[in-house]
Amino acid sequence: MKIEVKFYSLFRLNLKSSGIEYDIDGAIILQELIDKLDEDFEGYFSEKLLDSGEIRTGSIILLNGKNVLHLDKLNTKINDGDIVTLFPPSAGG
Amino acid sequence: MGRIHDYSVLRVDLETRDIKREEITGEKVKNYLGGRGLASKILYDELSPEVDPLSSENKLIYATGLLTGTAASTGGRYMVVTKGPLTGTIASSNSGGFFGAELRFSGNDIIIFEGKAEKPVYLSINGDQIELKDASHVWGKEVPETTDKLIEEFGDDRARVSCIGPAGEKEVMFASIMNEKNRAAGRTGVGAVMGSKNLKAVIVKASEKQVKYNKEEAMKVVKKQTKMLKEDGVTGEGLPSLGTKVLDNIINSNGLYPTKNFQFGTFESTEEVAGEALVEKGYLQSNKGCYGCPIRCGRDVKLPNGRSGEGPEYETGWAFGADCGVDDLNAITEANFLCNELGLDTISAGTTIAAAMELYEKGFIDQEELDNGPELNFGSSEAIVYYTKQMGLREGFGDKLAMGSYRLAESYGHPEISMTVKRQELPAYDPRGVQGHGLQYATSNRGGCHVRGYMISPEIIGAPEKLDPQELEGKPEWVKIFQDLTAVIDSVGMCLFTSFALGLDDYREIVNAATGFDYSSEELLQTGERIYNLERQFNIEAGITPDEDRLPKRFTEVPLPDGPQKGEVSRYKELLPKYYKIRGWSEDGYVSDSKKEELGI
Repeated sequence: MKIEVKFYSLFRLNLKSSGIEYDIDGAIILQELIDKLDEDFEGYFSEKLLDSGEIRTGSIILLNGKNVLHLDKLNTKINDGDIVTLFPPSAGG
Repeated sequence: MGRIHDYSVLRVDLETRDIKREEITGEKVKNYLGGRGLASKILYDELSPEVDPLSSENKLIYATGLLTGTAASTGGRYMVVTKGPLTGTIASSNSGGFFGAELRFSGNDIIIFEGKAEKPVYLSINGDQIELKDASHVWGKEVPETTDKLIEEFGDDRARVSCIGPAGEKEVMFASIMNEKNRAAGRTGVGAVMGSKNLKAVIVKASEKQVKYNKEEAMKVVKKQTKMLKEDGVTGEGLPSLGTKVLDNIINSNGLYPTKNFQFGTFESTEEVAGEALVEKGYLQSNKGCYGCPIRCGRDVKLPNGRSGEGPEYETGWAFGADCGVDDLNAITEANFLCNELGLDTISAGTTIAAAMELYEKGFIDQEELDNGPELNFGSSEAIVYYTKQMGLREGFGDKLAMGSYRLAESYGHPEISMTVKRQELPAYDPRGVQGHGLQYATSNRGGCHVRGYMISPEIIGAPEKLDPQELEGKPEWVKIFQDLTAVIDSVGMCLFTSFALGLDDYREIVNAATGFDYSSEELLQTGERIYNLERQFNIEAGITPDEDRLPKRFTEVPLPDGPQKGEVSRYKELLPKYYKIRGWSEDGYVSDSKKEELGI
């Protein structure tokens, strides 16, 4: 199945990448996706997004535009065709 | 110069040219802090709420905050308070930069302008020398030229200028007041009131940079809070790197990025116009900070055509971008520069054009009316630049746009196409995607506005904690606390952005340390509640009844057609009764006698 991961804000500027696409066999959960990103980006994402094994305050992780904090957090299931969007703590106004 | 909490007030009668010195001390300061709070109290006590905002009876108050000019982080802000022409409510608009701090240094903590000058004038404050001077030669001039000319005449390039452009002179309903050329007291049309008084500018240079406060105590707190601001992900990294435009992709990805006059919740070309693009395209030159600011979210930008200036901020970029369906960052930035030069509020300017585009595409505005200007089609980069200039100068069709989107849409018999609350244009978050923020829009004391209780922070960003944007439970309580706390921050003279990293206890700590006051956190928050209720009472007496606590019906009747929030409507009407109850108001939203008594209003 195909998953699209989008990077924004400092993730995008620091990694000089706007995202990555994965083709994976079988369903996975968010934690497994982050592990996969860590393999490709030298542990960058668990360092930035997580704090003691939980989602760091202010990090924004969206599954198809819904914040995973209101879904199943790191256990949120990711399915074929899903879009995962990642932001470090950011705000404006 | 007295102690920090003894306010020195300058009362300037523009008609008689009489300038008097007064003082405000004691309980009044303790109860209203300064800035927005104290100026609102002055306006409420002195002004009949029924006055025509653009008549000579209206008053225009420049007020520094309680900690403006001290070492408090971001403590350089000033507020302009008056009765607003756009909404008919109390209007207050806040600006950073360096003008506010310089005004405080000069020993003039508050200036009350009354009456109307016979001919254009400006107020010059050079140390102890304070006088009204002829402004005929700068009348009609844009903001940058006015600023440069007045500084040249003043003879000291360290002087700071706050002025209006042609839009304020011509009483465009959403004209801004600009300081240091690019910083804006933008919203609510304060610039139009200044123009109606024939007051072009205030220029100030203090003889010594000193404000009397408990510096030693305050510095301990400032040190700690600067560290908190530097270490916070938002204020220490996100805002310094990408400025406010980091929000484009966040709000679009969440599905509440208003597009084509709030007809849609996502914009397909966001990547082209987002904050990231500003960096990647190489337009961003450097960061800029206001007085005493460790965050430095301002941007200096240079376009490929050689034009340079400050901006665009998130709201501005959205108003001329997604809301008008425009994906050309060059044109958006050019429209922003024009707003700064002419003295226009960017949010109302961009979104009024967006409303005009919807009116035009639906056939309510005829092409002949456009006076040979470009067609008002969504996506037209030519139109946003052309009509911004026209509205700032009130030329051609711009004269109609200068009334703001509500009066414009109403004049065509379609007020429902104006995305406004209390006649002020809504900013860049669709309330169908954020229920608490929608309630905040509906109840804001200065009309459609995001900075009177920024519920986006908990509902989308997750500060201080993450709330589900579609959940209703608990939202009225959150809105009340955010509105009251914001009133405190605005009155203290610090920047609202500090609240991403600091909380109520931190504001109490710095206020008490600097002033020697002994507020508890509850008392300080109650001060904010007092200010909020006073503003509400002013509005009610001005004829803006609770019936106007409402959103355009598009948000309750038409579900969002696209994106992650597809199918959602705003349910703020379900929240209103609970909100009134929590506020201690009557069931129909009036400030109750018991609440007035409790707060001493």
